[in-house]
Amino acid sequence: MPLVGAILLAAMGANAATINTPRVDFMLECQGCHRPEGVGLPSANVPTLKGHVSKFLHTSEGRAFLVRVPGVAQSSLSDERLAAVMNWMVEEFDPAHLPVNFRNYEAKEVNELRKKIMRNPNTIRRRILKASGFNPNDGYQ
Amino acid sequence: MKWLDKFSELGTRNLARHAARRSFLSRFGAVLVGAAAFPTLPVARADSHRAPAPDETGIEGDPGNPQSCDYWRYCSMDGFLCSCCGGSQSTCPPGTEPSPITWIGTCRNPADGKDYVISYNDCCGKSGCGRCFCNTNEGDSPIFRPTLDNDINWCLGTKSNAYHCSMGAVIGVATEAQS
Repeated sequence: MPLVGAILLAAMGANAATINTPRVDFMLECQGCHRPEGVGLPSANVPTLKGHVSKFLHTSEGRAFLVRVPGVAQSSLSDERLAAVMNWMVEEFDPAHLPVNFRNYEAKEVNELRKKIMRNPNTIRRRILKASGFNPNDGYQ
Repeated sequence: MKWLDKFSELGTRNLARHAARRSFLSRFGAVLVGAAAFPTLPVARADSHRAPAPDETGIEGDPGNPQSCDYWRYCSMDGFLCSCCGGSQSTCPPGTEPSPITWIGTCRNPADGKDYVISYNDCCGKSGCGRCFCNTNEGDSPIFRPTLDNDINWCLGTKSNAYHCSMGAVIGVATEAQS
């Protein structure tokens, strides 16, 4: 007989006693749309992170962009856990394009940036990529 | 795209006839959480020593009835169970396509006390199955937080967004067993 009580107590994400790894937080907060390995689905308006996301880290505007996009800025994660996910993600999905002097996102920085949710990421991303010498269509369309 | 390819494989009936029987936990221990290698969930061979009873999965470490709302994986379910619609908890019925965009949550497996990451991919392309509706909804949120709202139509990125049924596929481990 299934333990219905135990099932109903199952937490959505971590409870106070446990903190997920950044990888698991990515699965719960991001993977539903961005898909495993961050392959995304540009035809459904979901950018591809894999092989592209670190291209945004070459300018301060691009670094801010990655936290200001609505999916990140509006995440239910705390600033600390969100910073951890960002740091894990850029290394995991696009190590090849990490700037040599990349420094990790910090909670305080994430806290400030996510207050400035971006309304039109699709046009801004093109400008940032082009300014950094990348194809403005990279990772999206 | 490997993930989607694996999913397409899972959607074919033939997989059920050819997949080897393996322990759920030993197979699961080897899976990289979030990796592209989608865990093809073990299915009992037709010639296994003991056929699973109609109300159990037949997989060691994965207890319960996938045609019941009480099945541990369905703690955040909102929709018709593909297990009652010609598919299973991890395969789409013939004629439907798994949605690559999905609602993801966690549910606790009573067999080992661990919280597993569950992907509630919808199967799309036919009108609603109409059988085994479940609305357990743990972690669901109203529309002001759309990424956590399982009332919206999650048939996204498919040829048709007609919703048919929902699966509950295991894609990772969230937390170890709580003592």
